[in-house]
Amino acid sequence: MAAIVPMFSAVASSTRHILLLLRCISFAKKALVRISAEGLRFSTDEGSSIEAFVFLDKALFTSYTYHAPEPASSQDDPPEPPFFEIDLQSLLETLNIFSLSDLTSSTRSGGYDDFAAHRLNRHAGMNAFTNHAMGVTGVCNFSYNGEGGALSIHMFESGVTTTCDLTTYEADTVEDIPFNRDSLSVKTIMRAKFLLEAVTELNSVNPASMTVFASPGSASKPNLSLSAIGALGTAAIDFTTATSSETPVLESLYCPTETSASYPFAALKAAQRAMASATKVSLRLDDEGVLSLQFLIELEVGSSDGSGAVAFVDFRIVPLVDDEGAREHGGESTSE
Amino acid sequence: MRFRAEIRNVSTLTKFTASLASIGHIAWVRLDDKDVRFTVIPEQGTQVWSVISPNTIFQDWTIQSAAPNNTINLEVPLAPLQRALRSAQNAVAANIRLTKKDNIPLLSLTITTMAMHSSQQPTSSLSDRDNHFSGNGRAPSTNGANDTSSAFREASVDFFGPKADREIVITQDIPIRVLAPATVEGLHEPRCREPDVHIVLPNLNQLKGISERYTKLGMTTSNPRTPRNNSGIAKGAKLELSANMHGCLRLSLKTDAMGISSLWTGLENPELDSTQLAEGEDGLANHPSTRMKELGDASGQGEEGWATVRIEGRDWGRVLSVGRLGGRVIACFCDEHALILYVFLPEEDEREGGGGESVLTYYINSYSV
Repeated sequence: MAAIVPMFSAVASSTRHILLLLRCISFAKKALVRISAEGLRFSTDEGSSIEAFVFLDKALFTSYTYHAPEPASSQDDPPEPPFFEIDLQSLLETLNIFSLSDLTSSTRSGGYDDFAAHRLNRHAGMNAFTNHAMGVTGVCNFSYNGEGGALSIHMFESGVTTTCDLTTYEADTVEDIPFNRDSLSVKTIMRAKFLLEAVTELNSVNPASMTVFASPGSASKPNLSLSAIGALGTAAIDFTTATSSETPVLESLYCPTETSASYPFAALKAAQRAMASATKVSLRLDDEGVLSLQFLIELEVGSSDGSGAVAFVDFRIVPLVDDEGAREHGGESTSE
Repeated sequence: MRFRAEIRNVSTLTKFTASLASIGHIAWVRLDDKDVRFTVIPEQGTQVWSVISPNTIFQDWTIQSAAPNNTINLEVPLAPLQRALRSAQNAVAANIRLTKKDNIPLLSLTITTMAMHSSQQPTSSLSDRDNHFSGNGRAPSTNGANDTSSAFREASVDFFGPKADREIVITQDIPIRVLAPATVEGLHEPRCREPDVHIVLPNLNQLKGISERYTKLGMTTSNPRTPRNNSGIAKGAKLELSANMHGCLRLSLKTDAMGISSLWTGLENPELDSTQLAEGEDGLANHPSTRMKELGDASGQGEEGWATVRIEGRDWGRVLSVGRLGGRVIACFCDEHALILYVFLPEEDEREGGGGESVLTYYINSYSV
């Protein structure tokens, strides 16, 4: 029999980063987990119209060990790295127990916080630093023994030892939403808070969908426009690159020709937490109109480490095929 | 019947009332020569029976009734009592008495507060005003100006209304019912067999925080195990609480999506006082907890030696709110049957403390699997 060495084990001195990143994709109940030598990949999806994923690099952990599973015999191909489904809400609540001393963790989870969450998450850094500065050590251990086994989390803090075994469910291989990064129709980078403000503003008319319109820019057309029509009215937020400001809202824009597409508004709401936690967002449309939002999240990893670590949270949203809302670029006529 | 007392410690009484109000809406209050008892028996869930040494909350109290030991039994609604005590938060003095108005029996709370801070020195704004009126351009630091300004200050006090030291007297009436002896005769403290394990609980605020997370965990997942009442509505997560005679306490929860447990070690198991037991020394030897001591160990690993109860998460959270009072809490576990918590209020005033300890006793039923 093989020696009992866990296939995967990692130690984190603070679950704050993990909680922050996982919360960004927590619009779904279950998450798909993929373990590799480089880190952990968590992904969530809602139907096949929206998908989000975050990669927790092994550098975020104090220690990280992964033993790839052995093939059954030398002739076989090495088996796939493990992937399974877990209940994401249970994982978040469990990690919450660990950061009980962290005031931020007691906020409502599951709702879509906006600015409030952003501010709270910003202040989370100070609490964690205080803990470290005072030499208060808490330890959080993750481990996974292999197919069928539970994902175990073992935490010790303030005199209490907590052990959690998360049931791992078999996952169907889900095709990622394809995104053609080599064939973009729009790419822009802006500070995440502007996107958050825009979405919050659009939300006030209670819309079913949001339309993204982009153009190279002219007197009559904005470079980027986010608009929505709802029962309570219409709203549009226009962005332009024509500004003398040193810090333009659209830090960069690539848009060779006019294009637009619409997306279910619920998908944008699902990304609100990520918008609130991120510093910057890269918004891209590919030639099929698939929207990719890539959020850059700054993590304050330890005061000794001069460079702050960052992590990325990605959202992919499939456009609505609707002859009213969308005019797809690329000459493909909408079939009707 | 008469009852009148000055409230010694409004803050303690407020926290105490809040803890009771978490359990139920109405309290049976029993007053007599020796002590004050508050009992809350809700329709469902945990009961609390408390005995308070009068000196903990009252001073200068008088009680008189036709019953033996001057016993008075009242039914007191807790929300109005809480509201009344809120007015007394910053009181200089507060007293409570049993009275009747328009033939309705009441507990009447008379609260004296100060309107604003009293100060001995004239405030700068007053002296500015004085200078303006008296017309002298001198700063009010010289004696001459002070005499003038204090005369003016008194005048200005009359003119502008009282600025310093103003007493406000607030009366809060709490409607109550006087209970006949027959009504309360049937109420008895729940009896339970000798507990298997008794242990001092860790910091209640920490325990409450973690328990609340467990309660949330038990409800988050579409957990088919979440018990439902007759209408099919989820009643609340059942947490499993266990302890052993080696200082270990364990809280666990199992759902389909996960199994989680938290372990405290190094807690104190208080020694039983054999004089308190029915059979004295023999009773001690045969006591269930003595036998439990032989099982399990201080590491908390292993399945032996645990006494377990299953409690409803939200009910448990409400019980734990008694942590706001501070004090030592001893938990007595009757395996698979019941949990009894003894909360000993901290004695604040040593010289008055002699004669009585204040204890709240919570009786919590265990759910079967």
